[in-house]
Amino acid sequence: MSMNELFEKQIAELQRAHFLVLYWTTVAEDKKIRYNITNVFDDLKYLKVTRTKQSAVAFVETLKTLCFIAIREESNRKNLYLSNYGAQALEKLIISKKFEPEKSNYLEG
Amino acid sequence: MAIGIGGAGGKLASLMSPNSVAVNVSETELSKVNAAEKILAYAHTERGQLKGSKKDPSIGKSSFNSIRAQILEAVQGNMVLSSSGGGTGNGITSQILDVIATYDNIPDIRKTEFAIILPYAPRESQEFIVNTLEFLKGPLSNALDSTNTGNLFLFSNKMKFEQRIAEEKYNQMIVESLKKFEAIPKKGDTCELLEGHIDHEDFAAYRSKSFFNNFCYFDYDPERYFGDQLNENANPLLLPGETPIEALFLLEVPTDYDHTVFYNILDHFSSIKVAPMYSVVRNPAIDKPFVTVSTLYSRKPMELVNDFNRISDESTQAKIDKSLEQYVEFQQMNVTLQEEAQKVAHEKGQPTDEIISVLKRLGKLK
Repeated sequence: MSMNELFEKQIAELQRAHFLVLYWTTVAEDKKIRYNITNVFDDLKYLKVTRTKQSAVAFVETLKTLCFIAIREESNRKNLYLSNYGAQALEKLIISKKFEPEKSNYLEG
Repeated sequence: MAIGIGGAGGKLASLMSPNSVAVNVSETELSKVNAAEKILAYAHTERGQLKGSKKDPSIGKSSFNSIRAQILEAVQGNMVLSSSGGGTGNGITSQILDVIATYDNIPDIRKTEFAIILPYAPRESQEFIVNTLEFLKGPLSNALDSTNTGNLFLFSNKMKFEQRIAEEKYNQMIVESLKKFEAIPKKGDTCELLEGHIDHEDFAAYRSKSFFNNFCYFDYDPERYFGDQLNENANPLLLPGETPIEALFLLEVPTDYDHTVFYNILDHFSSIKVAPMYSVVRNPAIDKPFVTVSTLYSRKPMELVNDFNRISDESTQAKIDKSLEQYVEFQQMNVTLQEEAQKVAHEKGQPTDEIISVLKRLGKLK
Protein backbone atom coordinates (compact mmCIF):
# COMPACT_ATOMS: atom_id res chain seq x y z
CA MET A 1 0.00 0.00 0.00
CA SER A 2 1.43 3.37 -0.98
CA MET A 3 1.61 6.26 1.48
CA ASN A 4 -1.12 8.01 -0.45
CA GLU A 5 -3.44 5.05 -0.15
CA LEU A 6 -2.72 4.80 3.54
CA PHE A 7 -3.51 8.50 3.94
CA GLU A 8 -6.79 8.07 2.05
CA LYS A 9 -7.69 5.10 4.22
CA GLN A 10 -6.96 6.99 7.41
CA ILE A 11 -9.21 9.84 6.31
CA ALA A 12 -11.98 7.44 5.33
CA GLU A 13 -11.97 6.05 8.88
CA LEU A 14 -12.46 9.44 10.53
CA GLN A 15 -15.80 10.05 12.22
CA ARG A 16 -17.90 13.19 12.55
CA ALA A 17 -16.35 14.00 15.92
CA HIS A 18 -12.83 13.85 14.45
CA PHE A 19 -13.94 16.12 11.64
CA LEU A 20 -15.42 18.65 14.04
CA VAL A 21 -12.27 18.70 16.18
CA LEU A 22 -10.12 19.33 13.10
CA TYR A 23 -12.51 22.03 11.94
CA TRP A 24 -12.70 23.80 15.30
CA THR A 25 -8.95 23.65 15.74
CA THR A 26 -8.67 25.50 12.42
CA VAL A 27 -11.24 28.11 13.42
CA ALA A 28 -9.44 28.61 16.75
CA GLU A 29 -6.08 29.06 15.08
CA ASP A 30 -7.65 31.49 12.62
CA LYS A 31 -9.15 33.48 15.50
CA LYS A 32 -5.88 33.18 17.44
CA ILE A 33 -7.76 31.60 20.33
CA ARG A 34 -6.20 28.72 22.24
CA TYR A 35 -8.37 25.64 22.02
CA ASN A 36 -7.83 22.79 24.49
CA ILE A 37 -9.18 19.30 25.21
CA THR A 38 -11.70 20.63 27.75
CA ASN A 39 -13.11 23.01 25.10
CA VAL A 40 -13.38 20.07 22.73
CA PHE A 41 -15.33 18.09 25.33
CA ASP A 42 -17.67 21.03 26.00
CA ASP A 43 -18.37 21.61 22.31
CA LEU A 44 -18.96 17.92 21.58
CA LYS A 45 -21.24 17.67 24.61
CA TYR A 46 -23.13 20.79 23.45
CA LEU A 47 -23.75 19.17 20.06
CA LYS A 48 -24.70 15.89 21.78
CA VAL A 49 -21.94 14.03 20.01
CA THR A 50 -20.72 12.57 23.29
CA ARG A 51 -21.47 12.75 26.96
CA THR A 52 -18.17 11.61 28.47
CA LYS A 53 -14.81 13.29 28.65
CA GLN A 54 -13.09 9.95 27.95
CA SER A 55 -14.53 9.76 24.46
CA ALA A 56 -13.60 13.39 23.77
CA VAL A 57 -10.04 12.55 24.88
CA ALA A 58 -10.14 9.41 22.69
CA PHE A 59 -11.07 11.45 19.60
CA VAL A 60 -8.27 13.91 20.26
CA GLU A 61 -5.76 11.15 21.03
CA THR A 62 -6.63 9.42 17.76
CA LEU A 63 -6.02 12.61 15.79
CA LYS A 64 -2.75 13.09 17.63
CA THR A 65 -1.65 9.52 16.95
CA LEU A 66 -2.44 10.02 13.27
CA CYS A 67 -0.33 13.21 13.43
CA PHE A 68 -3.29 15.28 12.25
CA ILE A 69 -2.98 17.51 15.26
CA ALA A 70 -0.25 18.41 17.73
CA ILE A 71 -0.94 18.82 21.45
CA ARG A 72 1.11 21.33 23.28
CA GLU A 73 1.16 21.84 27.06
CA GLU A 74 0.73 25.58 27.53
CA SER A 75 0.02 27.15 31.00
CA ASN A 76 -1.11 23.78 32.28
CA ARG A 77 -3.57 23.43 29.36
CA LYS A 78 -3.35 20.92 26.57
CA ASN A 79 -3.89 23.08 23.46
CA LEU A 80 -4.65 21.70 20.01
CA TYR A 81 -2.83 22.74 16.81
CA LEU A 82 -3.56 21.50 13.31
CA SER A 83 -0.66 19.84 11.49
CA ASN A 84 -0.11 20.06 7.72
CA TYR A 85 -1.40 16.50 7.40
CA GLY A 86 -4.43 17.43 9.44
CA ALA A 87 -5.04 20.36 7.09
CA GLN A 88 -4.93 18.04 4.08
CA ALA A 89 -7.24 15.60 5.84
CA LEU A 90 -9.68 18.37 6.66
CA GLU A 91 -9.54 19.63 3.08
CA LYS A 92 -10.43 16.20 1.74
CA LEU A 93 -13.29 15.78 4.19
CA ILE A 94 -14.65 19.21 3.29
CA ILE A 95 -14.49 18.48 -0.44
CA SER A 96 -16.08 15.07 -0.05
CA LYS A 97 -18.97 16.71 1.85
CA LYS A 98 -19.04 13.69 4.14
CA PHE A 99 -19.75 15.87 7.19
CA GLU A 100 -21.25 19.30 7.66
CA PRO A 101 -19.17 21.88 9.58
CA GLU A 102 -20.90 23.04 12.77
CA LYS A 103 -20.24 26.06 14.93
CA SER A 104 -18.21 25.66 18.10
CA ASN A 105 -20.12 27.00 21.08
CA TYR A 106 -16.86 28.00 22.71
CA LEU A 107 -15.33 29.78 19.70
CA GLU A 108 -18.37 31.20 17.94
CA GLY A 109 -21.20 30.85 20.44
CA MET B 1 -32.32 -34.37 -63.69
CA ALA B 2 -31.18 -31.35 -61.77
CA ILE B 3 -30.70 -31.27 -58.01
CA GLY B 4 -30.70 -27.83 -56.48
CA ILE B 5 -29.17 -27.42 -53.06
CA GLY B 6 -29.84 -24.35 -50.97
CA GLY B 7 -31.72 -21.23 -51.98
CA ALA B 8 -29.85 -20.37 -55.17
CA GLY B 9 -29.45 -24.01 -56.23
CA GLY B 10 -33.16 -24.76 -55.74
CA LYS B 11 -34.24 -21.85 -57.92
CA LEU B 12 -31.81 -22.83 -60.68
CA ALA B 13 -32.78 -26.49 -60.59
CA SER B 14 -36.47 -25.71 -60.87
CA LEU B 15 -35.72 -23.68 -63.99
CA MET B 16 -33.45 -26.40 -65.36
CA SER B 17 -35.95 -29.21 -65.50
CA PRO B 18 -39.55 -29.90 -64.52
CA ASN B 19 -38.57 -32.99 -62.52
CA SER B 20 -35.97 -31.30 -60.41
CA VAL B 21 -35.16 -31.98 -56.77
CA ALA B 22 -34.78 -29.14 -54.31
CA VAL B 23 -32.91 -29.52 -51.04
CA ASN B 24 -33.01 -27.01 -48.24
CA VAL B 25 -32.95 -26.73 -44.45
CA SER B 26 -35.70 -24.14 -44.59
CA GLU B 27 -39.24 -25.36 -45.09
CA THR B 28 -40.34 -21.87 -46.10
CA GLU B 29 -37.70 -21.66 -48.82
CA LEU B 30 -38.66 -25.12 -50.06
CA SER B 31 -42.30 -24.17 -50.31
CA LYS B 32 -41.41 -21.30 -52.61
CA VAL B 33 -39.51 -23.49 -55.07
CA ASN B 34 -41.35 -25.11 -57.92
CA ALA B 35 -39.62 -28.50 -57.80
CA ALA B 36 -40.97 -32.00 -58.45
CA GLU B 37 -39.37 -33.36 -55.32
CA LYS B 38 -38.47 -31.47 -52.19
CA ILE B 39 -36.08 -32.72 -49.56
CA LEU B 40 -36.03 -31.02 -46.19
CA ALA B 41 -32.68 -31.43 -44.46
CA TYR B 42 -33.01 -31.39 -40.70
CA ALA B 43 -31.10 -28.70 -38.93
CA HIS B 44 -32.38 -28.51 -35.40
CA THR B 45 -31.64 -26.25 -32.53
CA GLU B 46 -33.42 -26.09 -29.20
CA ARG B 47 -35.88 -23.76 -30.89
CA GLY B 48 -36.86 -26.35 -33.49
CA GLN B 49 -36.20 -26.63 -37.22
CA LEU B 50 -34.05 -23.79 -38.51
CA LYS B 51 -35.50 -21.51 -41.13
CA GLY B 52 -32.13 -21.08 -42.79
CA SER B 53 -28.50 -21.92 -42.30
CA LYS B 54 -27.34 -18.44 -41.30
CA LYS B 55 -24.76 -18.47 -44.13
CA ASP B 56 -22.93 -20.98 -41.96
CA PRO B 57 -21.76 -24.04 -43.94
CA SER B 58 -21.37 -26.06 -40.75
CA ILE B 59 -25.17 -26.04 -40.38
CA GLY B 60 -25.53 -27.34 -43.95
CA LYS B 61 -22.86 -29.92 -43.21
CA SER B 62 -24.52 -31.21 -40.05
CA SER B 63 -27.92 -31.39 -41.74
CA PHE B 64 -26.44 -33.56 -44.50
CA ASN B 65 -26.63 -36.69 -42.36
CA SER B 66 -30.41 -36.43 -42.13
CA ILE B 67 -30.68 -36.85 -45.91
CA ARG B 68 -27.45 -38.67 -46.63
CA ALA B 69 -28.70 -41.86 -48.32
CA GLN B 70 -31.47 -40.09 -50.18
CA ILE B 71 -29.27 -37.35 -51.60
CA LEU B 72 -26.32 -39.58 -52.47
CA GLU B 73 -28.70 -41.78 -54.46
CA ALA B 74 -30.32 -38.80 -56.15
CA VAL B 75 -27.12 -37.13 -57.33
CA GLN B 76 -25.81 -40.17 -59.17
CA GLY B 77 -25.64 -39.45 -62.89
CA ASN B 78 -27.24 -36.06 -62.38
CA MET B 79 -26.28 -32.47 -62.05
CA VAL B 80 -26.03 -30.66 -58.72
CA LEU B 81 -26.62 -26.94 -58.75
CA SER B 82 -25.64 -24.87 -55.77
CA SER B 83 -23.91 -21.72 -54.69
CA SER B 84 -20.71 -21.69 -52.71
CA GLY B 85 -21.46 -18.55 -50.75
CA GLY B 86 -24.29 -19.46 -48.40
CA GLY B 87 -24.64 -22.09 -45.73
CA THR B 88 -26.92 -24.76 -47.13
CA GLY B 89 -25.61 -24.99 -50.70
CA ASN B 90 -22.02 -24.85 -49.62
CA GLY B 91 -22.44 -27.16 -46.59
CA ILE B 92 -24.43 -29.97 -48.19
CA THR B 93 -22.53 -29.83 -51.49
CA SER B 94 -19.24 -30.01 -49.57
CA GLN B 95 -20.41 -33.18 -47.86
CA ILE B 96 -21.53 -34.71 -51.16
CA LEU B 97 -18.15 -33.90 -52.73
CA ASP B 98 -16.34 -35.36 -49.72
CA VAL B 99 -18.27 -38.63 -49.99
CA ILE B 100 -17.80 -38.80 -53.76
CA ALA B 101 -14.05 -38.31 -53.32
CA THR B 102 -13.91 -41.54 -51.30
CA TYR B 103 -15.54 -43.77 -53.98
CA ASP B 104 -13.51 -46.40 -55.80
CA ASN B 105 -14.18 -46.82 -59.49
CA ILE B 106 -17.41 -45.04 -60.05
CA PRO B 107 -18.88 -45.79 -63.50
CA ASP B 108 -19.15 -42.83 -65.89
CA ILE B 109 -22.93 -42.87 -66.00
CA ARG B 110 -23.13 -42.45 -62.24
CA LYS B 111 -20.82 -39.49 -62.05
CA THR B 112 -22.27 -36.24 -60.82
CA GLU B 113 -21.82 -32.93 -62.55
CA PHE B 114 -21.63 -29.82 -60.44
CA ALA B 115 -22.67 -26.33 -61.41
CA ILE B 116 -21.43 -23.97 -58.73
CA ILE B 117 -22.33 -20.32 -58.51
CA LEU B 118 -19.40 -18.38 -57.10
CA PRO B 119 -19.91 -14.99 -55.47
CA TYR B 120 -18.45 -11.85 -56.96
CA ALA B 121 -15.83 -10.85 -54.41
CA PRO B 122 -15.86 -7.05 -54.81
CA ARG B 123 -19.61 -6.82 -54.30
CA GLU B 124 -20.69 -9.66 -52.06
CA SER B 125 -20.36 -10.16 -48.34
CA GLN B 126 -17.08 -11.30 -46.88
CA GLU B 127 -18.79 -14.39 -45.42
CA PHE B 128 -19.63 -15.57 -48.92
CA ILE B 129 -16.04 -15.17 -50.00
CA VAL B 130 -14.66 -16.96 -46.94
CA ASN B 131 -17.17 -19.81 -47.39
CA THR B 132 -16.22 -20.07 -51.07
CA LEU B 133 -12.51 -20.16 -50.33
CA GLU B 134 -13.02 -23.02 -47.87
CA PHE B 135 -15.17 -24.82 -50.41
CA LEU B 136 -12.68 -24.46 -53.26
CA LYS B 137 -9.65 -25.39 -51.18
CA GLY B 138 -11.24 -28.38 -49.49
CA PRO B 139 -14.11 -30.45 -50.89
CA LEU B 140 -13.99 -29.26 -54.50
CA SER B 141 -10.25 -29.70 -54.82
CA ASN B 142 -10.31 -33.19 -53.24
CA ALA B 143 -13.24 -34.39 -55.34
CA LEU B 144 -11.57 -33.14 -58.50
CA ASP B 145 -8.35 -34.93 -57.62
CA SER B 146 -10.27 -38.15 -57.03
CA THR B 147 -11.60 -37.91 -60.65
CA ASN B 148 -14.92 -39.22 -59.38
CA THR B 149 -16.95 -36.21 -60.45
CA GLY B 150 -18.31 -35.26 -63.83
CA ASN B 151 -17.77 -31.83 -65.35
CA LEU B 152 -17.62 -28.86 -63.02
CA PHE B 153 -19.19 -25.65 -64.17
CA LEU B 154 -18.01 -22.58 -62.32
CA PHE B 155 -20.49 -19.77 -62.78
CA SER B 156 -19.66 -16.35 -61.48
CA ASN B 157 -21.97 -13.64 -60.20
CA LYS B 158 -19.66 -11.04 -61.74
CA MET B 159 -21.87 -10.23 -64.74
CA LYS B 160 -24.97 -10.08 -62.54
CA PHE B 161 -23.47 -7.33 -60.41
CA GLU B 162 -21.63 -5.46 -63.13
CA GLN B 163 -24.59 -5.31 -65.45
CA ARG B 164 -27.20 -4.97 -62.71
CA ILE B 165 -29.24 -7.99 -63.74
CA ALA B 166 -32.23 -9.12 -61.70
CA GLU B 167 -31.62 -12.42 -59.92
CA GLU B 168 -34.49 -14.20 -61.62
CA LYS B 169 -33.30 -13.08 -65.03
CA TYR B 170 -29.72 -14.03 -64.22
CA ASN B 171 -30.81 -17.51 -63.12
CA GLN B 172 -32.74 -17.77 -66.37
CA MET B 173 -29.61 -16.80 -68.29
CA ILE B 174 -27.51 -19.43 -66.53
CA VAL B 175 -30.12 -22.10 -67.20
CA GLU B 176 -30.55 -21.13 -70.84
CA SER B 177 -26.82 -21.17 -71.26
CA LEU B 178 -26.56 -24.66 -69.76
CA LYS B 179 -29.43 -25.83 -71.93
CA LYS B 180 -27.64 -24.60 -75.04
CA PHE B 181 -24.69 -26.75 -74.09
CA GLU B 182 -26.90 -29.74 -73.29
CA ALA B 183 -28.65 -29.40 -76.66
CA ILE B 184 -25.49 -30.36 -78.59
CA PRO B 185 -26.31 -34.08 -79.11
CA LYS B 186 -29.99 -33.33 -79.80
CA LYS B 187 -28.99 -31.26 -82.83
CA GLY B 188 -27.51 -34.43 -84.30
CA ASP B 189 -30.94 -36.06 -83.96
CA THR B 190 -33.01 -33.29 -85.50
CA CYS B 191 -30.67 -31.85 -88.15
CA GLU B 192 -28.95 -33.33 -91.17
CA LEU B 193 -25.52 -34.56 -90.09
CA LEU B 194 -22.69 -33.40 -92.38
CA GLU B 195 -19.44 -34.22 -90.60
CA GLY B 196 -18.37 -35.99 -87.43
CA HIS B 197 -20.85 -37.04 -84.84
CA ILE B 198 -21.50 -36.37 -81.19
CA ASP B 199 -24.18 -38.77 -80.12
CA HIS B 200 -25.76 -38.89 -76.68
CA GLU B 201 -23.29 -41.46 -75.43
CA ASP B 202 -20.26 -39.50 -76.65
CA PHE B 203 -21.67 -36.43 -75.02
CA ALA B 204 -22.35 -38.23 -71.74
CA ALA B 205 -18.79 -39.60 -71.75
CA TYR B 206 -17.47 -36.09 -72.31
CA ARG B 207 -19.54 -34.76 -69.45
CA SER B 208 -18.39 -37.46 -67.08
CA LYS B 209 -14.80 -36.22 -67.14
CA SER B 210 -13.46 -34.66 -63.98
CA PHE B 211 -12.52 -31.32 -65.42
CA PHE B 212 -13.79 -27.79 -65.39
CA ASN B 213 -16.08 -27.17 -68.32
CA ASN B 214 -16.08 -23.84 -70.08
CA PHE B 215 -18.48 -23.42 -72.96
CA CYS B 216 -19.67 -20.65 -75.23
CA TYR B 217 -21.64 -20.17 -78.44
CA PHE B 218 -21.55 -17.53 -81.12
CA ASP B 219 -22.06 -16.72 -84.80
CA TYR B 220 -18.97 -17.99 -86.53
CA ASP B 221 -17.25 -15.87 -89.15
CA PRO B 222 -14.98 -18.19 -91.24
CA GLU B 223 -13.07 -15.18 -92.58
CA ARG B 224 -11.49 -14.56 -89.19
CA TYR B 225 -9.23 -16.71 -87.04
CA PHE B 226 -11.30 -18.98 -84.85
CA GLY B 227 -9.14 -18.59 -81.73
CA ASP B 228 -9.72 -14.83 -81.69
CA GLN B 229 -13.45 -15.27 -82.00
CA LEU B 230 -13.38 -17.84 -79.21
CA ASN B 231 -11.66 -15.36 -76.90
CA GLU B 232 -14.03 -12.54 -77.84
CA ASN B 233 -17.11 -14.64 -77.25
CA ALA B 234 -16.15 -16.22 -73.94
CA ASN B 235 -19.20 -17.05 -71.88
CA PRO B 236 -19.62 -14.10 -69.51
CA LEU B 237 -21.55 -16.22 -67.04
CA LEU B 238 -18.68 -18.61 -66.44
CA LEU B 239 -15.35 -18.06 -64.79
CA PRO B 240 -12.77 -17.56 -67.57
CA GLY B 241 -11.34 -20.87 -68.81
CA GLU B 242 -7.76 -21.99 -69.11
CA THR B 243 -5.74 -23.77 -71.81
CA PRO B 244 -7.98 -26.63 -72.87
CA ILE B 245 -7.09 -30.27 -72.41
CA GLU B 246 -10.07 -31.55 -74.33
CA ALA B 247 -12.66 -29.86 -76.50
CA LEU B 248 -15.94 -30.43 -78.24
CA PHE B 249 -17.80 -28.33 -80.76
CA LEU B 250 -20.96 -28.31 -82.77
CA LEU B 251 -21.07 -26.26 -85.95
CA GLU B 252 -24.44 -25.47 -87.44
CA VAL B 253 -24.48 -24.15 -90.99
CA PRO B 254 -27.37 -22.72 -93.01
CA THR B 255 -28.75 -24.39 -96.09
CA ASP B 256 -26.39 -24.29 -99.14
CA TYR B 257 -23.42 -23.21 -97.04
CA ASP B 258 -19.95 -24.69 -97.54
CA HIS B 259 -19.64 -26.53 -94.28
CA THR B 260 -15.93 -27.33 -94.76
CA VAL B 261 -15.15 -24.17 -92.81
CA PHE B 262 -15.11 -26.48 -89.82
CA TYR B 263 -11.53 -27.34 -90.81
CA ASN B 264 -10.60 -23.81 -89.70
CA ILE B 265 -11.84 -24.68 -86.26
CA LEU B 266 -9.89 -27.95 -86.26
CA ASP B 267 -6.80 -25.96 -87.31
CA HIS B 268 -7.12 -23.78 -84.25
CA PHE B 269 -7.43 -26.74 -81.90
CA SER B 270 -4.56 -28.58 -83.52
CA SER B 271 -2.39 -25.48 -82.97
CA ILE B 272 -2.99 -25.88 -79.23
CA LYS B 273 -2.57 -29.66 -79.49
CA VAL B 274 -6.14 -30.62 -78.80
CA ALA B 275 -8.12 -33.06 -80.95
CA PRO B 276 -11.73 -32.10 -80.38
CA MET B 277 -14.86 -34.16 -80.67
CA TYR B 278 -17.10 -32.46 -83.20
CA SER B 279 -20.27 -32.52 -85.16
CA VAL B 280 -21.32 -30.41 -88.16
CA VAL B 281 -25.00 -30.19 -88.96
CA ARG B 282 -27.19 -28.34 -91.40
CA ASN B 283 -29.76 -26.16 -89.68
CA PRO B 284 -32.22 -24.50 -92.12
CA ALA B 285 -33.49 -22.23 -89.36
CA ILE B 286 -30.31 -20.10 -89.28
CA ASP B 287 -28.71 -17.81 -91.87
CA LYS B 288 -25.16 -17.65 -90.49
CA PRO B 289 -22.90 -20.41 -89.21
CA PHE B 290 -23.32 -20.90 -85.46
CA VAL B 291 -20.87 -22.70 -83.26
CA THR B 292 -21.20 -24.11 -79.76
CA VAL B 293 -17.81 -24.88 -78.18
CA SER B 294 -16.93 -26.54 -74.93
CA THR B 295 -13.42 -26.89 -73.57
CA LEU B 296 -12.27 -28.86 -70.58
CA TYR B 297 -9.44 -27.59 -68.44
CA SER B 298 -7.91 -28.81 -65.25
CA ARG B 299 -6.84 -25.60 -63.64
CA LYS B 300 -6.47 -26.51 -60.02
CA PRO B 301 -8.82 -24.82 -57.60
CA MET B 302 -5.70 -23.70 -55.72
CA GLU B 303 -5.13 -21.17 -58.46
CA LEU B 304 -8.77 -20.17 -58.32
CA VAL B 305 -8.34 -19.76 -54.61
CA ASN B 306 -5.42 -17.44 -55.21
CA ASP B 307 -7.58 -15.41 -57.56
CA PHE B 308 -10.29 -15.23 -54.96
CA ASN B 309 -7.81 -14.40 -52.26
CA ARG B 310 -6.42 -11.59 -54.34
CA ILE B 311 -9.84 -10.07 -55.00
CA SER B 312 -10.92 -10.60 -51.41
CA ASP B 313 -7.64 -9.05 -50.27
CA GLU B 314 -8.18 -5.99 -52.41
CA SER B 315 -11.69 -5.44 -51.13
CA THR B 316 -10.56 -5.98 -47.55
CA GLN B 317 -7.74 -3.51 -48.08
CA ALA B 318 -10.24 -1.00 -49.44
CA LYS B 319 -12.38 -1.54 -46.35
CA ILE B 320 -9.38 -1.01 -44.08
CA ASP B 321 -8.40 2.16 -45.94
CA LYS B 322 -11.90 3.45 -45.52
CA SER B 323 -12.04 2.69 -41.82
CA LEU B 324 -8.66 4.40 -41.38
CA GLU B 325 -10.05 7.48 -43.08
CA GLN B 326 -12.90 7.45 -40.64
CA TYR B 327 -10.62 7.01 -37.65
CA VAL B 328 -11.28 9.65 -35.04
CA GLU B 329 -9.02 10.11 -32.06
CA PHE B 330 -10.86 10.31 -28.80
CA GLN B 331 -9.68 12.93 -26.38
CA GLN B 332 -8.95 11.52 -23.00
CA MET B 333 -10.36 13.65 -20.23
CA ASN B 334 -8.55 13.50 -16.93
CA VAL B 335 -11.37 14.02 -14.50
CA THR B 336 -10.77 13.68 -10.78
CA LEU B 337 -13.54 13.83 -8.27
CA GLN B 338 -11.62 16.24 -6.14
CA GLU B 339 -11.12 18.79 -8.91
CA GLU B 340 -14.71 18.55 -10.04
CA ALA B 341 -15.99 18.96 -6.48
CA GLN B 342 -13.75 21.96 -5.99
CA LYS B 343 -15.00 23.46 -9.22
CA VAL B 344 -18.62 22.99 -8.19
CA ALA B 345 -17.98 24.30 -4.70
CA HIS B 346 -16.25 27.32 -6.15
CA GLU B 347 -19.15 28.00 -8.53
CA LYS B 348 -21.66 27.75 -5.72
CA GLY B 349 -19.48 29.81 -3.38
CA GLN B 350 -20.05 27.48 -0.41
CA PRO B 351 -18.58 27.94 3.10
CA THR B 352 -16.29 24.95 2.50
CA ASP B 353 -14.31 27.29 0.29
CA GLU B 354 -13.80 29.52 3.23
CA ILE B 355 -12.27 26.81 5.42
CA ILE B 356 -9.85 25.84 2.70
CA SER B 357 -8.81 29.41 2.21
CA VAL B 358 -8.37 29.72 5.98
CA LEU B 359 -6.13 26.62 5.92
CA LYS B 360 -4.14 28.20 3.10
CA ARG B 361 -3.90 31.51 4.95
CA LEU B 362 -2.59 29.69 8.00
CA GLY B 363 0.07 28.18 5.77
CA LYS B 364 -1.12 24.63 6.48
CA LEU B 365 -2.12 23.97 2.88
CA LYS B 366 -0.13 24.82 -0.18
